[in-house]
Amino acid sequence: MRHRGFILFAVASLAALAGAAAQQQPAASFRNDATWWAPADGKPFPRELDYANAAGVVRTLLKDGPAETLGHAFFSPLGPNGRACITCHQPADAMALSVESVRNRWATQGSADPLFAAVDGSNCPTLRQDERTSHSLLLDHGLIRIERDWPIRDAAGRGVTADFRLEVVRDPYGCNSGEWGPGGKKAKVSVYRRPRPTTNLKYLTAIGFAYDPKDGMPLEIDPETGKPASGNLTADRRVLSLEAQARDAMRTHLGVEGLIGPSIVRQLVDFEMRLSSAQAVDNRAGRLDDGVLGGPGHLEASQPGQLGSIGRAVWSEFEGWEKLPAGARLTPEQRAFRESVARGARVFREKTFLITDSAGINSPIGFGNPVRNSCVFCHNMSQMGNDVAPGQVDLGTTNQPFADPAPHLPLFRITCLAEPHPHYGKVIYTSDPGYALTTGKCADVGKITLQSMRGLAARAPYFSNGSARTLRDVIDFYERRYRIGYTEQEKQDLVNLMSVL
Amino acid sequence: MLLLAIATPAAAQTPGETVRFISCPIYRDVDAGRKSGCWLADERESGRRFDIGNAPTKPDWNHEVLVEGRISNAPDSCGGVMLEPVRVSVLPGPCTRQMLPAESFRGRPFELPQRNVRPLSEARPAPQPPFVEKSFYLLYDFNRDFIVYQLDDYLLDQAITYIRGAKPRKVVVTGYAATKPAAVSGQNIAENAGIAKRRAESVTEALVRLGVDSRTIETRWKSGAEPIEAPGADGLAEPSRRRVEIRVIP
Repeated sequence: MRHRGFILFAVASLAALAGAAAQQQPAASFRNDATWWAPADGKPFPRELDYANAAGVVRTLLKDGPAETLGHAFFSPLGPNGRACITCHQPADAMALSVESVRNRWATQGSADPLFAAVDGSNCPTLRQDERTSHSLLLDHGLIRIERDWPIRDAAGRGVTADFRLEVVRDPYGCNSGEWGPGGKKAKVSVYRRPRPTTNLKYLTAIGFAYDPKDGMPLEIDPETGKPASGNLTADRRVLSLEAQARDAMRTHLGVEGLIGPSIVRQLVDFEMRLSSAQAVDNRAGRLDDGVLGGPGHLEASQPGQLGSIGRAVWSEFEGWEKLPAGARLTPEQRAFRESVARGARVFREKTFLITDSAGINSPIGFGNPVRNSCVFCHNMSQMGNDVAPGQVDLGTTNQPFADPAPHLPLFRITCLAEPHPHYGKVIYTSDPGYALTTGKCADVGKITLQSMRGLAARAPYFSNGSARTLRDVIDFYERRYRIGYTEQEKQDLVNLMSVL
Repeated sequence: MLLLAIATPAAAQTPGETVRFISCPIYRDVDAGRKSGCWLADERESGRRFDIGNAPTKPDWNHEVLVEGRISNAPDSCGGVMLEPVRVSVLPGPCTRQMLPAESFRGRPFELPQRNVRPLSEARPAPQPPFVEKSFYLLYDFNRDFIVYQLDDYLLDQAITYIRGAKPRKVVVTGYAATKPAAVSGQNIAENAGIAKRRAESVTEALVRLGVDSRTIETRWKSGAEPIEAPGADGLAEPSRRRVEIRVIP
């Protein structure tokens, strides 16, 4: 059953938004208390759930839905801070969290809302929690505070000896200093990251090959399940299974203490694995399954873990719009937008450029530095655009000199104690060491797991640190980083493509 | 004329001749599709320029490379004499980046190497009994323990497929290091003895991850490795010293 009320809301909002480009900031807010799922509010989660956003409508499908949410682990505040998983994984935001939703929640509920819990919904728990400035990273950049152990511990909880020294250069909020910092009693490093969508997870947990070519080893074995792990969960691959992710999230974000029962974990994983989300309607293109295979239905029906270069090419779902029949009943705007999306898919696959100095691509695997390839080199899984292999890559979004200036974030100086980093040398400045906080390897500093690419229009901003405010910002970052030479048309085509995924 | 006469013999290419030298790599930006750029390296001693692009490990233009290969008579598509087979090891020594334009060269479109690991969705042909004692060899870049993509992963996949069929009572993993010093392009190079242990331990860990009972694995390491015949070495003696042997004992 579709929630028709949300569709009506979407249509009514379109008039006010006519002409607003998907990649621009929305002209009006789509988020209000009606779209927000608060913990334990008791409404059932339907089989099909639609929400309007600036680009159109995002749809989430629940396989074998609907599901009751009252008492369900995903929707219940299991810990003392009033949070539930649903708090940061909102259906209107493609099961993630947009800045727009955060701001609306602040405007209507203020700091008392569990979203702004001191533990990680604020820049640091030591700050005054009733002030907006204490929550600026969440309100302005959509960032949640993530604590990592220092010294490092691996997925099994064993100590890891890092081959680098970590020093705090800049600590705007005090969470990397004193008691809270890496040298303090709590012995933690605080980094700030965007919540990742808890949907389409059959793709992110799928295993296509037995080997992790970036690591030069077979896939890691998850200590909890004993099975090989896809390596595509969380920004820093600190957990290897959804089961472990659920436990980690319940402890860190919900404040759950003590034993977490297997039935709770099973319920969470079962629910998450049944979700598929994608943009389903575009304001300019119309239905995204009209002659093509956009929308979540195709995602739900498809087999995960397939390499696009072997099977269905990545984003070939939109091939049907490459040559629209002359007699097709489309407005000129519709036709132009659909053709742009189809071109964007081609550009994504076929426009090659030189990828340089990016650990995880140019090292240690022997692709060479530089190597010529396109976006699908890494975004290679059919239907989803994530990496079939574990996807930890350093694009430079957090490492200087490639990262955009980010005075609002902490800055760390990493000194390699053994071999220098293959591309940065002995010393690296970073706002988030990423995967290195899991492996303890200097060569992994700044590697971040590839982002999920579906439902993008519903959940700005982008990149793990929210540094790209819009989809256009994402393209512009890549253009700066790799000097790709996209034409203006190609940039627009890529933005249009990403807005309909 | 005299200069030319002196230069000509030095620049001669003999198909089948093996070369081993250290140099800075040159990238020629030929766009013949994905992974299509040309990699070149000059043997400074002779002045010869070689096409080293078919190596499993490609160069990093910021670092010196150790090139080991055999001269082939394949046509020149990149601006150098083709080495095939060829192995490239990235060394720590720094290099100034050098990128040439395509000029008149067309390069070579990427072709999937024959040694590539297939997806898990494709069933491996099961090895047939009788299962006899058998050795598999992984070959390494100089002073590295990284399992080379589209070479060692393929060889490891063959080993694990055999192990799964044979269900051996013992697997002996022996890491080797080429610790005997050699003069190459004016540098004395030798692998660290410790790399043999690291290679052996990483392959042991790899086998455990692939489901081999760790109690059946015996891990050894040796330095001073001598060349052997191994499929992954493609007849190149020097790379064959840098290896791990996986001996499967049914």
